[in-house]
Amino acid sequence: MAKILIIDDDPDMVLAARLCLERAGHTLIEARNGTEGLEKVKTENPDLIILDVMMDSTTEGFHVALALRSRDPNSEYAAYAHIPIIMLTAIHSTLSLRFGPEEDYLPVDEFIDKPIDPDDLVNKVEKLLNKGK
Amino acid sequence: METPDSSADLIATYLPEDATEDIRRIVTTRWLMGGLVLAATAFCAHVLRLPLPEAGLYLTGLVILAYNALLVWLIRQRPLRAGSLRWTVDLQIGLDWLAMVFFLHLTGGITSPAIPFFVIHMLLVTILLPGRSAYLYLGLAVALLSLLALLERSGLLPHYNVIPALPSELYRDLNYIGAQVGFFTLASCAIVYLATAIMARLRERERQIGALFEATQAVSSTLSPNEVLERLARNAAHALSMPGAAIRLLAEDGKSLRLTAAYGLSRAYLDKGPVELPRSRLDREALSGQPVIVSDAPRDERIQYPREVEEEGIRSILVVPIAGRRGPLGVLRIYSDKPNSFTLSDAGFALAIARQGAAAIENALAYEALQKSEQARAQFVRTVTHELRAPVGGAQSLLRVMLRGLAGDLTEQQRDILNRLEVRLDSLMTLINDLLELAATKTAILREPLIEMPLQPVVQRVVDLLTHEAAEKPVALTLEMPPEPLVVHATEEGLVRIFSNLIGNAVKYTPAGGQVQVKAAKVNSGVEIRVADTGIGIPADELPRLWQEFFRARNAKQAGISGTGLGLSIVKQLVEQFGGTIHAESVEGEGTTFTIILPLREK
Repeated sequence: MAKILIIDDDPDMVLAARLCLERAGHTLIEARNGTEGLEKVKTENPDLIILDVMMDSTTEGFHVALALRSRDPNSEYAAYAHIPIIMLTAIHSTLSLRFGPEEDYLPVDEFIDKPIDPDDLVNKVEKLLNKGK
Repeated sequence: METPDSSADLIATYLPEDATEDIRRIVTTRWLMGGLVLAATAFCAHVLRLPLPEAGLYLTGLVILAYNALLVWLIRQRPLRAGSLRWTVDLQIGLDWLAMVFFLHLTGGITSPAIPFFVIHMLLVTILLPGRSAYLYLGLAVALLSLLALLERSGLLPHYNVIPALPSELYRDLNYIGAQVGFFTLASCAIVYLATAIMARLRERERQIGALFEATQAVSSTLSPNEVLERLARNAAHALSMPGAAIRLLAEDGKSLRLTAAYGLSRAYLDKGPVELPRSRLDREALSGQPVIVSDAPRDERIQYPREVEEEGIRSILVVPIAGRRGPLGVLRIYSDKPNSFTLSDAGFALAIARQGAAAIENALAYEALQKSEQARAQFVRTVTHELRAPVGGAQSLLRVMLRGLAGDLTEQQRDILNRLEVRLDSLMTLINDLLELAATKTAILREPLIEMPLQPVVQRVVDLLTHEAAEKPVALTLEMPPEPLVVHATEEGLVRIFSNLIGNAVKYTPAGGQVQVKAAKVNSGVEIRVADTGIGIPADELPRLWQEFFRARNAKQAGISGTGLGLSIVKQLVEQFGGTIHAESVEGEGTTFTIILPLREK
């Protein structure tokens, strides 16, 4: 039903997501790093983006999200700022990172903790896709 | 060089108590003198039967006692400050001398046997008045004595011949008068000169001790290291009564000295350029461990910047090394605008101040190094977090997907094997998380700061989170807390961890149908939280080892309940960080109660 772009450097995670989402009827495109991810946003114009928090460097995921949702009206990604973003995180209480969709700093719409729960992932994807409609 | 703080400040810093003590002693002596005048008069008049003008002498004695009393009253009225000090001194000397001259007049004028007392009074004057003022008063004393002699000689004042054996015209003999005045002058000069030298040395010692005291205070204060060094530079300059000082520390490469603190020097001089060791023999010598005195700065070849030194007005320099435990840390320099200003004892004192500086610098360096290593460690923990969790998380995700049947149907055996894999991976993930928590807990220094916060919301939140899990078994989970906020000194994260662990454990180790009770209450000046369960308990002989890392009681392993054994050691460390204590009681097979006591903060 929907075209979903997943930006994650872990092939196992990508495979797990693919098995969940293709079973639910969606198409999955993958990108292995932030740069490739941003390119594919432009070329593929996905309906939803799944973004890993840390890829090669510790803040890569943040940078992609910030680039996509940049407040600058002249940004090259302005046309894609409306696409819902789910962030895959390894949030655990030790990291004491507290941010949510309302946080100014990190403009994503949903979070999913790793390891992913297949039902949770599918539900959140559907919820965000329906919100857009 | 810039003008130093006013000398009034200096006096105020170093002299007030000392002056008050002296004045008290002088007042006491004056009581004695007044009394002695009265007693001696009575003795000489009635026992020795000397022809004394008794009335006048008693009057003198009484007047002395009277103005002494007045002085005591005045001193009590207002505390002596540096400013008010001066007029009481002049007043005292004035009154004493009037009494003295009168006394001398009544006891024979220039022939009075009491003239030596006047000489001794010079000592008192020198103690109270430092420097040239004492000589001025000496001149005045000589003048008064001469005046008395001449007035009596000319007949304008009567003469009392109290020692009948003396020739009656002696007081009119110019030779005699000359001799008496002459010896009085010489004796007084000697006393004033010696006393002045002694007083000067005393005052210098007091200044130095005061400076050292201030230095130790500055070092142990909460000022930043730079502020401490600024104070030390100023202290060193003041203590030696010099206009300027500077502290320079060795750069990391050991080849130059960077400016760290300065006092009394112009900006232009401080900015003159880097001090490089190969070009500054002065500093090389000092850094080798010996204090160096430069008596004539502009002409000394050991200096790197002689022109700037001359322009700044510096004429002599004292440089001492600041010695750390592992080698020299830098130098302390003291500058004077006069040549030949420094002696070896000055160097000794500067070394003492430099030692204080070394302590401060090493503290600061150690703290910096500690912070860097803590940062490196925290970074390591973060990296390891990712490197360990990512692969395990990836594997778990795939497993879950397979177990959901999303990669095709599974046979019974395949499902069984996958379930076992999931269990192993879940334990591995928990272990990784616990290990990282333990590592994080141990780095106490860079943690979040403790804040005052109420206990109840955190406990409530944890219990809410665990309610579902408890209901599933089922285990009855109850919570009792007083309504008024119990404020403790902790971090939110730490409290969450403590209670998730304790209450989570209680639920985990209690079989179906049991109960877990959580109670919090104010007890004396603390808050007591009890987590009591009806679970499998802990064998008595294993209780002491409960807090050890990785320790799991044998009955826990036997019951097949998974755990890493790290939770309680983390909890104990946190409780202790928050200033509290934790205690466990248990009976095997019946249940366990954990009691935490945290100090209460009054809101």
